[in-house]
Amino acid sequence: MNSGPALVSILRQGDTLVASVHTALDDSEMVRFQNDLVRQIGEYRARGVIIDVAALDVIDSFASRTLQTIADIARLRGAVTVIVGIQPEVAFAMVRLGMGMGEVATALDLEEGMAHLAGLRGSGARRE
Amino acid sequence: MTPAPAREEPEDADGAAHVADLMPMLRRIVAARVGQHPAAEDIVQETLLRVLTAEDRIEPGMLEPYAITTVRNVIATMWRKQDRDARNQHRVHDPSEPEDAEELVVASEEQSAISVALSRLADRERQILLAHEVSGRATQSLADETGSTAGAVAAQLKRTRARMRVEYVLALEGVEPPTDRCRPVLLALSSADRRRQREVDAPRHLLECEVCARLSEPLMGRGPVRTDEIHVPIGADPDIVAARQAARELASRAGFTGTDLTMLATAVSEVARNIVRFASSGEVSIELLDRPRAGIRVVARDTGPGIGDLDRALEDGFSTYNGLGLGLPGSRRLMDEFDITSEPGQGTTVSMTKWIDRKG
Ligand SMILES: [Zn+2]
Repeated sequence: MNSGPALVSILRQGDTLVASVHTALDDSEMVRFQNDLVRQIGEYRARGVIIDVAALDVIDSFASRTLQTIADIARLRGAVTVIVGIQPEVAFAMVRLGMGMGEVATALDLEEGMAHLAGLRGSGARRE
Repeated sequence: MTPAPAREEPEDADGAAHVADLMPMLRRIVAARVGQHPAAEDIVQETLLRVLTAEDRIEPGMLEPYAITTVRNVIATMWRKQDRDARNQHRVHDPSEPEDAEELVVASEEQSAISVALSRLADRERQILLAHEVSGRATQSLADETGSTAGAVAAQLKRTRARMRVEYVLALEGVEPPTDRCRPVLLALSSADRRRQREVDAPRHLLECEVCARLSEPLMGRGPVRTDEIHVPIGADPDIVAARQAARELASRAGFTGTDLTMLATAVSEVARNIVRFASSGEVSIELLDRPRAGIRVVARDTGPGIGDLDRALEDGFSTYNGLGLGLPGSRRLMDEFDITSEPGQGTTVSMTKWIDRKG
């Protein structure tokens, strides 16, 4: 159950999990990442999840879909997910492809993502 | 052995005349060693062909010594083989010289493959090839004889050499091509003719035909190494990433930047995934274009079940896996040109092009 230190790291900061994708992932690695993250959300009773995808040079239909799935599962388990660091070219290609992030919250970078989660907590909201 | 005669000016720019000049000397050497042996003339021809193939690497003035060494080797090989065959009539296995024996078998197989290949050429092809390369007739002189031009004769010689290589490789491997399409494909590869390779859809045939896939390596190995085209075999998840990274690398070398690069890589990712999901194996080829303007062409081929309803496959949201149907229509939106053909039971080919001077 280890996605390997080089590909992805998942760190705990209080009740928030910060997952950073460090390099391009193939589909199987993406699924493994999803499973690891979902498991840790339960294990640490996380309230917030930040996924940093700044290192990804392509987010294709499968990657978009997997990120959305992670957010859906996290929500069902009581955690809010924010995707941060989508590069401008990647965002453009995702729109052309017809793949947005749907209902999933996004932020420019890690700091903004943290601020977003803090804002939700401050207002007592538990939605994205 | 007479000393090397004063060198005459070659009749022909490629120096074939010099190789042919070796013939009388070789005949004398062979006659002195094997007499009227039935293989005498074969030895001479074999030597000439070997010298011809090595000609580019031979120092000026060294052609004659090289030919003499070669003819001795050819004769020695023949004697040793006959000797071995005689001994092997009594002994199945001779442990005294195992490696040497193997070498001899290889040498004699190559030799007979050359003869087989020559015999499979059309009579006229063989006559012109031998007249030029063995008898040293200049292309101009051959052209005069047939009322043709030197350029046309040179072009025909080039085709004949390409055919000769195909037949040589087939004879060496001891295989008969399994389909009618094999020889045209192998010939297009052997002659490094890209237009012809496209016409006969060589890349698809290599996916479908195991024999040609195997033979293509020695044939293509003779051509110049292509730096403007990459083929990525697709069989599993990691190949999807490999294909899009290869496309990105080639495209950025060609001058693609920023958003165009990302759109291209994303589209490649989608079509490569279709191969993994629906066909299980295939390839993605990425080729730089310079006409009508700078661009990049991506062709994804598979040998899968094919797509029954193409129109539906191109609609957003249609998919037979994962509830996700953006692969094909999404790729079409990411690229400038998009074309798909699919044959049930035969496989699918997606061709897409992106031009470079259009800023996204
Ligand atoms: Zn074939």
